[in-house]
Amino acid sequence: MTQDLNPMVKVTNIHKVFDGKHHVLCGIDLEVTSGETIVILGPSGSGKSTLLRCINLLEEPTAGSIEVDGTVIHAGENSKQRDSQILDIRKKTGMCFQSFNLFPHMTVLENIIEGPVTVLKQQKDQAIPYAEELLDWVGLTEKRDEHPSRLSGGQQQRVAIARSLAMKPKIMLFVEPTSALDPELIGEVVEVMERLAKEGMTIIAVTHEMHFARDVADRVLIMEDGIWLEEGTPEQIFSHPKHQRTRQFLAHIL
Amino acid sequence: MENTTTDQQTPLILSGIPPEAQATLRGIETKKIRYRRNLIIAFAVLIILMAGALIIIGLDFKFMVKWIPFILAGIGYTLLVSFLAISLACILAVAGALGRLSSNPIFNSIATSYVSLIRGTPLLVQVYMWYIALPQVGKALEDLGLTGVQSIFTLPAIPAGILALGVCYGAYMTETVRAGIQSIKIGQIEAAKALGMTSSQAMRRVIFPQAVRVIIPPVSNEFIAMIKDSSLVSLMGVWEISFRAIKIGRRHFQSLEMLIMAAMIYWVMCFILQLIQEKIEAHMARGDRRTS
Repeated sequence: MTQDLNPMVKVTNIHKVFDGKHHVLCGIDLEVTSGETIVILGPSGSGKSTLLRCINLLEEPTAGSIEVDGTVIHAGENSKQRDSQILDIRKKTGMCFQSFNLFPHMTVLENIIEGPVTVLKQQKDQAIPYAEELLDWVGLTEKRDEHPSRLSGGQQQRVAIARSLAMKPKIMLFVEPTSALDPELIGEVVEVMERLAKEGMTIIAVTHEMHFARDVADRVLIMEDGIWLEEGTPEQIFSHPKHQRTRQFLAHIL
Repeated sequence: MENTTTDQQTPLILSGIPPEAQATLRGIETKKIRYRRNLIIAFAVLIILMAGALIIIGLDFKFMVKWIPFILAGIGYTLLVSFLAISLACILAVAGALGRLSSNPIFNSIATSYVSLIRGTPLLVQVYMWYIALPQVGKALEDLGLTGVQSIFTLPAIPAGILALGVCYGAYMTETVRAGIQSIKIGQIEAAKALGMTSSQAMRRVIFPQAVRVIIPPVSNEFIAMIKDSSLVSLMGVWEISFRAIKIGRRHFQSLEMLIMAAMIYWVMCFILQLIQEKIEAHMARGDRRTS
């Protein structure tokens, strides 16, 4: 019951300044409840990806706090306990990158069991059945023993999703997961993301896939210059945008 | 040779390429064959000239054959020193590279000075340092009241040689390993971290295995170079290949024969190592050419 009251992700007043001068995030707040699918849109360079990278602390926020499933991290602190809390957040958070970043020296299966074996200290043969299940779920069972370089971009991204899911995360972050893909390969990745959303995964996605935003998202947020411009249901955002800037942006990408 | 080239040629001709393109392709192919033939002729002429020169200067081949077994007996020392030194160098190189990349000021400064100092001084001086200067350090420490240090610091020739070569090559290889680690894309580290790995787990499981592939060719080169530099231990009277060759050559006033023979033995060893290196590289490249 308390789960429903506490948000899965709570970002409070996050600032990010790069190199002491580029103010990329300017006091961002965000709450995501369990099972929600959020899509963040906005012009390139508006800070969307940086926000996602702050949530799992790949990027250290300059100010503010991050809470993921009850674990809170405040910017600017430094302690042993904090380091282990960061690892804790990363274990609960899956992330898919624009450039997939599969491990090229491992087979597909080895990529997927790497997290459970190295981070969660599972035995190999203990981790393999679930990995195979995930591989089947993303439709790549026959690629089990291939190296990533033998896979298409779409297949690599689906393996990357399976690799994240092997950690049984509570939330998935997608950073432009289809931006590096050839147009004909985008569909297969979006389809996997849709199924993931339907199965109740909490998702925050930065993507330009309007289908996904319109059909799957519970909420769409528009970011510009490090602040929220507008937020609402896909219906509100796409059919009745309030801001002139939102209208301009949507006209540009649709 | 001839057969394989025609085999490669046939599918090109067969696969429905227009005649004018085929003519160009055939032209390229005949150029390749001609180049290969000329290269073989050039090598053959070079070898004949070299052999001729050796005969003209009146090389005593009988003398050479007589002493071959004696010189070859030094291979053991050469290989022993090289293998142990390269092993030591590899360990130092990995530690050094981690130090150079460390944000810890102590490790970083130690590794940086190590590389700078060793790379900035001649190997010859370093060999003498370990062999004839270190005992003096031991004596000084002994005088300060550390009993037994002098005997530890007085090294026999072979350990001194292994240390000198290993420490020296370790410094050069530190930079190789560092460059190899830095060549791995940042996305790999981020993916590892996003899974919840600690920095050392990411290094061990993701970065290092990929860096090894990058640094194998330069490290093999270092090993080949070390086989030759191991001749420096002859300065300390270790009975390895060049020491034997120089000794026999001086004794019989036939240094030319002996030195040519020693050179040939080194050449053959390096040639074999080069073949092994190519095999390892081919094996490593199998299956996973990097694309992402």
